[in-house]
Amino acid sequence: MVDIPAERLSPGPTGYRVKVVDFDAEAGVLYKAHSYQEDAEGRLVDAFSDQLQPAGSTLRKQSEDQLLANPMFHGQNVYALVMRTLARFEYALGRRVHWGFDGHQLHVAPHAFIDANAFYSREDRALMFGYFSAEHEPGHFVFTCLSHDIVVHETTHALLDGLREGFMNFSGPDQAAFHEGFSDVVALLSVFSFKEVVELALTRFKDGAGGVAIKSKGRSLIHRRALTASALADGALMGLAEEFGRALGGMRANALRRSVRIKPSRNLLHTPEFSEPHTRGEILAAAVMRTFLQIWLQRIEELGTFDDGYYNLTEVAAEGAKVADHLLTMSIRALDYCPPLDLEFGDYLAALLTADAEIAPDDKRYHYRDTVSKVFGSFGIEPPASRTDKRGCWTGFTQHPFIQYRRTNFESMLRDPEEVFRFIWENRDVLGVDERSYTQVVSVRPSIRIGPEGFLLRETICEYISRANIFGAELGTVCNVNPRPSGVDSNTALTVYGAGTLVFDQYGQLKYHIARQMNDGDWQRKRLEYLFGEPLEDNEVGNAFANLHRMRAHCASCNEQGKGSRASSKARTKGTQPASPPAGKRGGPA
Amino acid sequence: MSTKGGTKTNAARAKPPTKVQAPKSPTHLNLFAYQVGFGDCFLLQFVYGDGDSDKRHVLIDFGTTGAPEADSGTLMRRIAEDIRDKCQGARLDVVVATHRHADHISGFATKANGKGSGDIIRALKPRLVLQPWTEDLALATDASGPTSKGIKASAGSIRTVSSLAAMTSLAEQVTRLAIERPNTLPPGLADRLEFLGRDNTKNLSAVENLAQMGQVGKSAYAYFGVQDPLEDLLPGVNTHVLGPPTVEQCSAIKKQRATDNDQFWHFHARGVATTNSINGNGTAPFDTAFVKAKKGKLPREARWAARHITNARGNQLLGIVTMLDKAMNNTSLILLFEVGGKRLLFPGDAQLENWSYALEQPGVAELLADVDLYKVGHHGSLNATPKSLWKGFRKRGKPEKTDRMTSVLSTMAGKHGSEGKKTEVPRKTLVDELKHDTHFHSTHEVPTSTLYSHVRIDF
Repeated sequence: MVDIPAERLSPGPTGYRVKVVDFDAEAGVLYKAHSYQEDAEGRLVDAFSDQLQPAGSTLRKQSEDQLLANPMFHGQNVYALVMRTLARFEYALGRRVHWGFDGHQLHVAPHAFIDANAFYSREDRALMFGYFSAEHEPGHFVFTCLSHDIVVHETTHALLDGLREGFMNFSGPDQAAFHEGFSDVVALLSVFSFKEVVELALTRFKDGAGGVAIKSKGRSLIHRRALTASALADGALMGLAEEFGRALGGMRANALRRSVRIKPSRNLLHTPEFSEPHTRGEILAAAVMRTFLQIWLQRIEELGTFDDGYYNLTEVAAEGAKVADHLLTMSIRALDYCPPLDLEFGDYLAALLTADAEIAPDDKRYHYRDTVSKVFGSFGIEPPASRTDKRGCWTGFTQHPFIQYRRTNFESMLRDPEEVFRFIWENRDVLGVDERSYTQVVSVRPSIRIGPEGFLLRETICEYISRANIFGAELGTVCNVNPRPSGVDSNTALTVYGAGTLVFDQYGQLKYHIARQMNDGDWQRKRLEYLFGEPLEDNEVGNAFANLHRMRAHCASCNEQGKGSRASSKARTKGTQPASPPAGKRGGPA
Repeated sequence: MSTKGGTKTNAARAKPPTKVQAPKSPTHLNLFAYQVGFGDCFLLQFVYGDGDSDKRHVLIDFGTTGAPEADSGTLMRRIAEDIRDKCQGARLDVVVATHRHADHISGFATKANGKGSGDIIRALKPRLVLQPWTEDLALATDASGPTSKGIKASAGSIRTVSSLAAMTSLAEQVTRLAIERPNTLPPGLADRLEFLGRDNTKNLSAVENLAQMGQVGKSAYAYFGVQDPLEDLLPGVNTHVLGPPTVEQCSAIKKQRATDNDQFWHFHARGVATTNSINGNGTAPFDTAFVKAKKGKLPREARWAARHITNARGNQLLGIVTMLDKAMNNTSLILLFEVGGKRLLFPGDAQLENWSYALEQPGVAELLADVDLYKVGHHGSLNATPKSLWKGFRKRGKPEKTDRMTSVLSTMAGKHGSEGKKTEVPRKTLVDELKHDTHFHSTHEVPTSTLYSHVRIDF
């Protein structure tokens, strides 16, 4: 059972942000949609909850089968999970969140085609979910739209695209991997809000020494053997992983399972195994999940025990839910503190730490930020030293004597890109924005956040992107790249970028300027060298996420058989036009 | 004739070695690039002297796709007859099938009446049939015969062969879908899927004929670095095999092994087979009572999305078939002939993942830098001519360059890829560079009345 914000639904279900269209392109048919009714108090009536027999009833299995055979139930399930994920983002960010396309309603096709794949498509304004025949049960199908982690993962792609449209462009290796890794993180952490599922996974722990769960005085208890670091990783997390991955028969990488298995090493990001976007993102997920485990463990230790080392199972699961919830909020809020393009994992770490420090300055109780820093470091992810303080947070913007606020209107700055652009233009020297490039403000987003102590934080987050069309010979003067990377001739046509995220405080003063300066030679060189490779990608592969997921499936099915290989193609990371990402939506530059 | 690495002899039919007296090295090469439409067919005639018998012949591929069957049958027969005429007085020494795509082997198919183009080639009794190791039938899971020397029948290599079988089955299902249910696909996509599907479908007759020719003469299965398989047949010619790498070679450097994942391909083959079975026989995922409307009679709120879902589904299919096509291309043999100080490169359809292994091996880049003749990879697609390979060719240059290299392209426009996505074959930008920097010959510029383009390379 999932709770979501109330709204008046049309058949589909079609609400103000989601429009489920159950068209099956394989069978060429549209399935019926349920007409929702409201009760006397104006609440939506869930027609399917009455059909489900209570747990333990002899008719339970039959009623479950009936629901699963009903496409209208699938439609409701996917609608609820998408809306729940959207609500989670809006809660964390303190504002309405847009999809990554022009329009308000995201189309969702729960049974789009036969494939063990699902993906977000900006062009189609849609999430498409595939289904496929179960291997050993002829006539039975597996539906990806029923999988919690897949629905949340795909919805996160759509939300992330709305928050940072530049992250879908060709750039460095980390950015290509970020969409996938971040979507895994949200899907995985969301699981822990289902406490009953977590409790069940905990009690299934086996170490050959008998059961770990008992009932005592009406309470469910679990033995501490099941609550060590390795037991939680191998037992609870892996148990959940098996649960979530089983239905897909190994044809879609099981993010949770893989992420728990990756052992920390500072060199991982430099190994060929993790150089591809479809594997690299798993390092990000692994770092977050390890952080989660450590803090959960620490909080369990603080709980009281009963005789012979038993803990209250409900409390153990509740602590897990709290940690997951806090980390999920941090992870989402961090997006506001990321640069608009060419995100690197180190930038995201700085953003995570900054986001949390802003809203919860006191980290002494559970040491979230210390643990995040340490665990990310063990995977070789460090905040960029030159742009962060000793805590790893972004260095605040130093109020410059020449910065000009007088000519801009504070009220308009909260929502108006024109006003923000005026601020940037007036202060282009101080901000280091190249006046000969074409600069555009791509977003202005006010946010109000409530911290764990009830503390209220108001900020306005703005992104701008500059671009310049240059020849290789101008790389030195424009981008400070000298000598040119190999392969770039003096007459090679290039589009180069600079960008920045401006964070204003409640008084309209600039608090952070998280920039990718156009004349940052080291960064520009690194990016050019990465992009200026072979014309690798085959544009025939279609949707970028569909391809990425397919590569993960390919990779996963190798590993499932213990082959240990990571078959891959260079996914869509490198363009034939080096350093010239394809134009973004709405003709935008990023 | 000795049995060397990568070759095996059918013991029952082995003939005593025969050596024809010939000068030690050829004086020149006549290369006949046959106009086969979309496909490859190259006859290499190494000339050692003035007499008809002073020649050695290597046929590299003989296939076409995209042309109507009747037309292509006639065309392939004419070409086979021409090959027979060119070999008159000498022999067809070697048949090379770079990989199993129809556009490279369809001409080897035989007919029950014995008048197929493959029958004509078989009658020439080639001494050796050379194929990539992935075609070694001894690696098939149900085979028990000995494997070629040098190729381990490891789990990896057996699985690769099993993958190829699954890929073929997937291609057959996609072809069937494109033919039987074109109206479920977005406009234009059925043709493209059918083309790709057919190219990847197993051409049983051609495969069997290649195997039989290999039994009459010898068969060899090659991989990167194998000892020169043509040493005894082409005096004065040193043949380097630069691809494909074996599973063991590839995994050693953790590079792509797109073909060894049999589970993945079996899974997708089953998926498309399910699609075909959904067509009208009641195996759809839900009871028909849940159907509100069929395509064509959709309510207005569903039309826009339904069109996009249909397109997305078409692109999903195209994506998987493209991945398959590429994986199959990457089983291509890459041959480099070194003769009289000149180097001739025939990479079949090898794409980057196949190339990348060879390019990273010591000395290979240097070997390739002095190529004098380049058979353009994969009919001129962008991904088959790696930039590092192209940029490494030292003999590229303007027309006045003294030792300027020659390039030969066998292709047909409008069959593969799309201009909109910059994947059209041949890729215009590549053709422009080839024209600008090499002596360029292309079968698609040969008049249709002419059977081949002739290129002479003097040694």
